[in-house]
This record gives sequence, C-alpha cells and structure tokens, in this order.
Amino acid sequence: MINTTNSEIQNQQISYVDKILSYYKERTLFSILLTIFVILFLYGIFSTNNYLTIFNFKTIIRDAALYGIMAIGLTFVTLSGNFFLLSLKETAAICCVSFAVGMSTGFGVEAWVGNFAISLSVTLLIGLVAGVIQGFFVGLGNNPIVVTLGGAGIMYGLAAWWSDNLVVSFRRPHDAEWLGTGSFLGLPTITWSFILFAITAELLLKRTNFGRKVYLIGANRAAGKATGHENFSMAIITFTICSLCCAFVAVAFAAQMSSAQANYFSAEFGSSGDMTILVIATVLVGGNSIMGGYGSILRTSVGAVFIAMIDNMMVLNGLNSGPRVVGVGLMIVFSILVFALFAKGSRAQE
Amino acid sequence: MKVNFIQKIKLNFVNNPDLSFAFFLAIAVYSYFALSTEMFASHNLSFAILERFAVLGLIGLALTICIIAGEIDLSIGSNAALCAVIVVKLTDPIGAPFAMLIGISISTLIGFTQGFFIAFLRVRAIVLTVGTLMLLRGISLVVAQEKTVMLTDFRVPDFITTKMLMYFSPASLMVIFIFILVGIFMRYTKYGREIYAIGGARKESLAAGVPLKRPLMIAFALSGFCAGFAGTVIGLKSGTAQGLGLQYLLLAGTVAAFVGGVSILGGKGGVIGAAVGSLTVNFLNTGLVFYAMQVHFVQFFTSVLLVVVIIFQTMSRIFDGYQTRKSYLTIIDSRSKILLEKKKNLNIS
Repeated sequence: MINTTNSEIQNQQISYVDKILSYYKERTLFSILLTIFVILFLYGIFSTNNYLTIFNFKTIIRDAALYGIMAIGLTFVTLSGNFFLLSLKETAAICCVSFAVGMSTGFGVEAWVGNFAISLSVTLLIGLVAGVIQGFFVGLGNNPIVVTLGGAGIMYGLAAWWSDNLVVSFRRPHDAEWLGTGSFLGLPTITWSFILFAITAELLLKRTNFGRKVYLIGANRAAGKATGHENFSMAIITFTICSLCCAFVAVAFAAQMSSAQANYFSAEFGSSGDMTILVIATVLVGGNSIMGGYGSILRTSVGAVFIAMIDNMMVLNGLNSGPRVVGVGLMIVFSILVFALFAKGSRAQE
Repeated sequence: MKVNFIQKIKLNFVNNPDLSFAFFLAIAVYSYFALSTEMFASHNLSFAILERFAVLGLIGLALTICIIAGEIDLSIGSNAALCAVIVVKLTDPIGAPFAMLIGISISTLIGFTQGFFIAFLRVRAIVLTVGTLMLLRGISLVVAQEKTVMLTDFRVPDFITTKMLMYFSPASLMVIFIFILVGIFMRYTKYGREIYAIGGARKESLAAGVPLKRPLMIAFALSGFCAGFAGTVIGLKSGTAQGLGLQYLLLAGTVAAFVGGVSILGGKGGVIGAAVGSLTVNFLNTGLVFYAMQVHFVQFFTSVLLVVVIIFQTMSRIFDGYQTRKSYLTIIDSRSKILLEKKKNLNIS
C-alpha cells in the first residue's frame, strides 16, 4: 500500500515537472524571452544605478503603455493574418493634430473650444475612418504593406497640411489633464488604460466569438472562407480596432504634451527610431506569429515591457540613439530568427 | 504565325494592361505639367529629371526585382543610407573609387545575407526586413556617430554632375547602363527566369526543380546593390549623408515599382516598367517643385499616385475574376445543354 502511494506521489511530481517543461517547449520563444528578461533584469539591478527604484519602474511602465496600447491594436491585425500596418505613426499624427486643433480652436466653432468630449469623438471618428478605408482596400485582396504605405503618405500630408507643419498647442489647465498627466492610485492614467486595454483585448480574443474568428482566419484563411468567415469584414474590423488604439494613444500623448505636431511620432522626435517600427517590434519580440493565428495579448504586453525595460537600461547607461536603435533592431531580428528556427515545418509557416 | 515588329509591340501592350497603364500614367503626368507650366518641357529640365532618375530609378529597380520574386524589401532606405554614410565618410581618406567599392559591396553583402536567411528559414521577407530596417538604421547612426557626415573635397560631386551629351551626367549614364544590364539578365538568362518563376508560382516551380535559395539570394543581392548604388549617388552628389535620412525612398520606390506594373503576388513586371514607373514619379516630383510645395505635399501626391495604381490593379483583378467566372459559366451551360440533349435522345430512343 505505502509503496504504491509513494510511487503515485512520485508520478504526480514527475508529471508536474513535465507539465512545466512541456509548457516551456510549446512556447519556446516566449520562454527564451522570459529567461532573457530575468537575466537582463538581474544585470540591470547590479550594473545600473537608480535602476531598482519605484520611480524608474513607473517610467518603464509608462513608456511601455504608450506603444503597448498601439501594439495591442496591431496584435488583432497580426493575428488575423494581415501582417502589419506601416501607417501607425501617421494615423497617430493626424489624430494628435485633430485633438489639439479641437482643444485650441474647437474646429472653428466658438462654443467648442476646449471641449474634451467633442475633440475626443472627432479624433476617434478620424481614426475610425482611416481604419475602415485601409481595411476595405486590404479586404479586397491587396497587400496590407503597400496599402498602408500609401495611406501613411496621405495621412501625414493631411496632418501637416492641417497644422501648417507647426506646433498646435493649447493652454495648460484643460479638461484632458487627467488623461495626460493625472494619476490614479499612484500609477499614471495611461498605465491604467494600458492594463484595461490589455485585459479587454485578451477577453475579447479568448472568450468571444469574434476573437475565435480572428484566430481562425489567421491560422487558416481557406478554412475560414469555407466556413463563411471572409477576410473582407475581418480586415475592416481589425484595421479599425488598430486605428482606434492609435487614436487613443495620440489623444493621451497630445494631452500630456498639451500640444501636437505632425512629426511627434517620427524618428526625428527622440525615442528609439520611429513609432511604427517600435510597435511592430513590440508585437514581434513578444513572440506572436507574424503569419497569424498564433499569439496573444499577454505576449504583446510582455514585449512592450521588455522593450521599454531595455531602452530604459540603455538610457541609464548613457548610450546615444545609435546603439539604442541597434539594440531594438537586434531584438527584432533575433526574435524573428529564433521563431523561424523553432517553427520550421509547423503551422506557423505557410 | 509570323508577326512583324509593330504588331509585336501592339501585342505586347494588349497582353500587358499594367504596362500600358504605366505608359498612360507617365504620359498623362508629363503632359499635365508640360501644359500647365512653361518651364517643364525644356532641355534643362529633362537633364534635371534624368539626374533624379539616377537615384529613384535604382530604388524602383531594386524594389521591382524583389516584388517580381514575390517578396518586398522594406530595408531599402536604411541600406541606401548606410552605404551613403560609409561612402561619404571614406571618400576623404581613401578616394572615391575605393569608397564606392567598399560601400556598394557592403550593401550587396547585406542584401545577399537577407536573401539567404529568407530562403533558409522560409520566413517572409516583409517580416525579416522590418527588423533589418531598424538594425541598419541603427548601424548607420553608429557609423555616422549621430552626426551629418560631410565631404571636404568637392571635386567628386562636381564630376558626378557634369553635363554630357545635353541630357546626361556620369551618374545617370551609369544608371542607364545598369538598367540595360539588369534587363538583359532578367529577360534572357536562366537565373533571371528563375526569379520570375519563384515569384509567379512558387510551389509549382519548386516542384519542377527550381531551387529556392539561389534566385532569392540573387534577387536580394541585386536589390542591395541597387540600393547601395543609389545611396552612393545621393551621398556623393550632395556631399553629405545622415544616418536617419533617405527613409522617403521606400515610399517613392514602391510607387515607382507599382506604377511600373508589378503585382504584389509576384512574377509580373519588368525593367521597362520600372524605368517608366520611376520616370512617372520623377515627373510628379519635379513638376510639384514649380508649385513651391512643401515636402509633405510631395509625399501626399506620391501616395495618391500609389492609391490610383492600387485601385486600378484591384479593379482589373475583380474584372478578370468576373470574366473567368463568366467563361466558366458558359462552359458549364454548354455542357449541361449537351447532356440534356443526350438525355432527351435516350428518352426518345
């Protein structure tokens, strides 16, 4: 009797270890990422001054939140097998300018000056229209890269034309301050909205009918078509979600700076490289399959925090923008190569 | 059936609606600007357009080759910027020819490596080149030490832009020479046809014994070479280079390639199309100069051109599908008629 129970317990223990191992095996890139994450975190603690402070932690999360929200939107597009948008920063730019124009001049109507609700709704409407139009073209069977490259040029041109390529600023005590610089329970509002967006998106993807359709169309477009789920409507919906996320980030950023310009999100404006590539990097580094159908919001969020952490570490170590861009580029290439190596012959490839 | 030369050209246009649309667009844009501004149709301006063609034509050619192979190279702007930075930095110490040699071979090597990884790992080029876009940009920032690199000796820029034969300069002559060489390579050699094969029908050509690695590596090496050459021309012409510059080349080159009639599915298009497409974009860019537009407006109108081409391609694809479906339906109808008649005959007998 005693022997059998012992062996049973042993069996249970082994199966437990096996479970963890198999979990890691199934998610190779994710686990590699987590390992590097932990190693770099430890390295950061011991090598960098002022790394392990609550203030710095807040900075990291805040940075991560800005492109994390955009990346959450992009994850929908990527999961549905439509690669990615190259017009992320331009969508954000035109939304940013629209919000600032709304706050400073009220779109030409005297009574709307500084009206947060109207500015926000007009901005979200612009994001919606941008997403629907691009999604429509992609849904007709065009390549998303080419379509969004064209869309990017048009939106940047419109944003620069609208703002005369100048900084549009509005006065500091405004209605949107709670979104830009306010904080709640010690964390900035933008971080809370990142968490909220992530939870909502994860629930949407994992628990609803719509989310499962996204996975289906990404994993097997032919099967999706055969069961009546065409990419046409899916492209429009996912592109709209992505553009709305960009619009939200733009509003938060404009509220934080209380001004807006067409090139706020491009390479000339500090940060490591431009926003579009950084967001795509976030999605890729997290380990989502770019061919679609495989990945989750959790991975994207971890990717966002990871990139923000490494960027922060490089800044604290006094590196210039060159090495920082090299660092982000290396991360993208590394994750693509590792993912391709481990996914060789599996469904993550064509 | 024997066809004479004019009929051959006519057939070429009829069978290739994209190329005819490219010619139509080019003529339309040129004649619009020629009619609306007096200066446009002049000898000096033709020289200026060919000078711009020396840069943009190469980028258009590079992207055309990649898209023919069924992939797209997003890192082209960064590759050109890296080459420009290297060439401008090395011209002073070791002279222009060696600097060009080093810069262009580095670019070609980068393209070659990309092609190897794409073929070996079977990833999509879109994915890998987004990574290398960032990586190469960072490397060129590091090489340039986040500053603008400048030439001190301006004999090389002067030589490159000297006017010869009324319309040409050494740079544009070299570019036209490269165009002819690449055109012959793509059209008449086995390796060039392989690039078309893996672009047009990858699974079928792999099954027929076409290797995947060689054509992809050749295509990406060619595109890297063209990007490097374009970067060299830009860098040496202006005498300056920046790590963050030249990102606009991706949009302009893509527009040139798509106006020239490539299809994103691969296997279509050619060098003539690339030349016509980049000339169209050059007409547009040069013509907008007369209206004293800001840079973002040039970008805006270039994107509008791209959207026009996308709409044309989508419409022609939908129309094609409609026609094929119609022809299938007529075949099915005729067959069902024959079957019905047979059935009738059987019933009667």
